[in-house]
Amino acid sequence: MIVFDDVWFSYGNREVLRGISFKADFHERIAVLGESGGGKTTILKLILGLIAPDNGKILIDGIDITSLKEEELIPIRRKFSIVFQEGALFDSLPVKENVAFFMRELLKLSDKEIYTRVSKLLSRVGVQEAEELMPEELSGGMHRRVAIARALAVGKTKMFLYDEPTAGLDPINSERIISLIKDLADKENIGFMIITHVVYVAWQLCDRFIFIKDGKIIFDGNKQELILTEHPSVREFIKELFFKIKKY
Amino acid sequence: MSIADKIKTILYELQSFYLLCLHSILKLFKKPFYFDDMIEQMEYAGASSVLIVSLVCLFVGMALSLQLSAELSGLGLKMYTGKIVGIAVIREIGPLVTALVFIGRVGAGQTAEIGSMILGHQIDTLRVYGIDPIKKVVIPRVIASIVMLPCLTIIGDLVCLFGGYYIAVLVSNQSGSFYWSSIIRELTFQNVFSGSIKPFIFGYLISCISCYYGIRTKGGAKGLRISTTKAVVTSIVVVIAMDFVLTRILLYALGFSV
Repeated sequence: MIVFDDVWFSYGNREVLRGISFKADFHERIAVLGESGGGKTTILKLILGLIAPDNGKILIDGIDITSLKEEELIPIRRKFSIVFQEGALFDSLPVKENVAFFMRELLKLSDKEIYTRVSKLLSRVGVQEAEELMPEELSGGMHRRVAIARALAVGKTKMFLYDEPTAGLDPINSERIISLIKDLADKENIGFMIITHVVYVAWQLCDRFIFIKDGKIIFDGNKQELILTEHPSVREFIKELFFKIKKY
Repeated sequence: MSIADKIKTILYELQSFYLLCLHSILKLFKKPFYFDDMIEQMEYAGASSVLIVSLVCLFVGMALSLQLSAELSGLGLKMYTGKIVGIAVIREIGPLVTALVFIGRVGAGQTAEIGSMILGHQIDTLRVYGIDPIKKVVIPRVIASIVMLPCLTIIGDLVCLFGGYYIAVLVSNQSGSFYWSSIIRELTFQNVFSGSIKPFIFGYLISCISCYYGIRTKGGAKGLRISTTKAVVTSIVVVIAMDFVLTRILLYALGFSV
């Protein structure tokens, strides 16, 4: 379970999070929504202990990670698989080496086993033809899918974290990524937290929605509560959603 | 920002830099060892830099020899060109010029590469999977710099001396054998040691500074530009200042009278 208890965080003098509190189970499908630059990605980094909050506690499975050392954070981080915005693939390595990278570093498998797994993972995310390509030769959608394959490579985790998985993608590629995320969650029975500013993407994938504005949580609820909310900022944000639902 | 805040920031940065330098040495002896990354970095820092180092050193050697020939021939001391070129290149100019070229080519590249890895969340990805970026990213670059800068300096020295030879013999009409014999006479332990210890220290400092600014990159393309500029400027100033300090220490330690 992830617990944020009155978490404050600032970049220099700019306060990004101002007293955020929420609890989340690993099996949940959660969307964290809000405007760009509103501290959504910061939440992911805090969960992974990549940055430490200025104030407040972050508990992962009951362990307060805010004061842990880098080595002590490793088992905490292993509970998650993350797909950063734009994939964070290693530019100097071809696709298959990107996917093989953490297997080689962490699992100590033979080359044959590694490449068999790489082929399976790439075909699972639908980019087996890109095995030999370099990251700069991939389209935005392929980038994300390779990043998802890499996140799957190391083994079973408790929760997937996706940072803006459809940002900058055309509608067709967005749909492909959405169905891939859904498919993985259904088949592996793993929950996920998705950071996005696109309400419609969140609506298709998640059961719980957390809205952040001015560093505070202004809404935390399910689909039903989201539709019925009277909060003006949330209503403004989900206008796009009503339009799309009507359209379809 | 108040003066107190500025001082606090400077002290914090110095502390972070000191810790990076310290960890890059302490973690060197801890498993895992990334030999492949070290070889890759050595290829980039060393083999790929030979041409540019040679080109710059050739012209520096030629210019130095030309200046000395012009000045010494007025005094009737043209035959000392080889001796002075030899001492200057081996002790001072070779290591310094090679280090400055290394800053521009390798140091800037290291900052830009690490900075772009920071901005692209590649370093975060390494940390998430429990891979220490200091071991995986910083140490291979530090080792590559410590190993390759002395090698490049030897090549740079030779090319510099050859540039001096070209001017001394073909332009200034001096004896080629006398030029080389004057230089060989200057290849004493003191001179060679004085010139060969510097590149190891310069290499370490350049890569630590470059990696430090790379890791501190934030704020997109503009941030990357600022980091790279800071890394290059700081490296140049530190290397030149360190060159003076080392020269002073080495002259004293090796028994030269000033």
